[in-house]
Amino acid sequence: MSKIFDWQLVFTEIPALLKYLPVTLNLTVIALVIGWAVGLLIAFVKIRNIPVLRQICSLFVSIVRGTPIIVQLYLTYFGIPIALKYYNYYNGTDFNVNGVPPIIFAIVALGLNQSAFDSETIRAAIQSVEKGQVEAAKSLGMNGFQIFRRVLFPQAVTVAIPSLGNSLIGLVKGTSLAFTCSVVEITAQGKILAGSSYRYFEIYCSLALVYWVLTIFVERLFAYIEKKMSVPEQVTVLKGGAVNERN
Amino acid sequence: MSAIEIRGLSKKYGENIVLDKVNLTINKGDVVAIIGPSGTGKSTLLRSINLLEKPEEGSVIINNREISLTTKSSKEKLELRRYTEMVFQQFNLFKNRTALENVMEGLVVVKNLKKNEARELAIKHLQKVGMGDRLFHYPRHLSGGQQQRVAIARALAMDPRLLLMDEPTSALDPELVSEVLTTIRNAAKEGNTILLVTHEMNFVKNVANRILFLENGRIVADGTPKEIFDNPKNERLKEFLVKIHMLESPDFTI
Repeated sequence: MSKIFDWQLVFTEIPALLKYLPVTLNLTVIALVIGWAVGLLIAFVKIRNIPVLRQICSLFVSIVRGTPIIVQLYLTYFGIPIALKYYNYYNGTDFNVNGVPPIIFAIVALGLNQSAFDSETIRAAIQSVEKGQVEAAKSLGMNGFQIFRRVLFPQAVTVAIPSLGNSLIGLVKGTSLAFTCSVVEITAQGKILAGSSYRYFEIYCSLALVYWVLTIFVERLFAYIEKKMSVPEQVTVLKGGAVNERN
Repeated sequence: MSAIEIRGLSKKYGENIVLDKVNLTINKGDVVAIIGPSGTGKSTLLRSINLLEKPEEGSVIINNREISLTTKSSKEKLELRRYTEMVFQQFNLFKNRTALENVMEGLVVVKNLKKNEARELAIKHLQKVGMGDRLFHYPRHLSGGQQQRVAIARALAMDPRLLLMDEPTSALDPELVSEVLTTIRNAAKEGNTILLVTHEMNFVKNVANRILFLENGRIVADGTPKEIFDNPKNERLKEFLVKIHMLESPDFTI
């Protein structure tokens, strides 16, 4: 009987998968940047309670949170070309629908999905900063931008980091669905490899390992950032004792 | 010489009139205390001067400039806020910054001082309030009284024309009140112009040189501590002083 489970293959196939790791990372990082930027905008609209925009944002967040990400990937994959066709039709332009690299569809879908989830985290984090501190900053004569940059943002980030880390881990794994937009990243590569060797289970095991290690790395990174940004538990011990001028 | 002149300040919350065309001139170096029952607009008056509330009417003359309190121009708002500084009941220190950074913040961001100049000035002011040995403590490492002293240093470092203090000792444990009152007394001695809302009547008696009694959004009595506490003319003021045991009521004398 030949090997039912070839455990060596689990490890020997990893290098072939890692060839497509840059695609996975690219998807993750770009979608993350879009997610945070758009998420911040949505949070801002909600906090400022800007009419019309607020309703649009709420609707957007509701739809994105209420539909599976795989459906959203299909919607962008088929929706963007249709939108482009309409645009060409009405403006007499000649954009090539097939010229759009497939990774764009995945980035748009993942980024917008991320923004909907992160917007709520960011909004809650900004609103968690005491109003009194904002009043103190106003009283000092800071303008709106200075208050945001110096008072709200640094404290909101500390609050938001754990949740944003969590959602980033979701995104890393969410990129595995990008194959539905015909993007070849590590999951798609795994399927291709398995398709030729019929060793599906072994390769899925390798994939699981790769994602797991990647996730551990993200977890550690965010734990480190969280520690760095928080106010220390203890009063800092000072080097050189130059501070105790009045004892 | 007047440090600040407030004209026709009115503020409503819905139908409820909180401040009713208040006029007030404060001279340079004065320590003016506002007393009165709760809900009479004491805090609102202070907060309106600093535009933390939006009054319906009124203007302020400060530094020979008249600025409307209903101004929409953010430049004018900032200008007014830069002339005045506020000390809050809840201290409102920036939680993510050390005592030193809290005091430096306004100097660097608003006054555009160089880091080392701001640092020097901040240390000087923190030493004045007796916090020179706690420069690198975060607010969470400080007691309420210490936090309030840092907050006072933060306000004084900005060299305001008028220092507004909104019940600065109300949130403190009784044993911490005196350290803050001493700090305020020192600030007064140094010639700072202060407008103060407080319930510390004995402190007011000793430190303030002018007292306003506010009721239903109007200043109904205005005088020196002697005039207010020893010889109150206004009936409502008398009642108030009896209630807070600052004036003996006939009921208790035999």
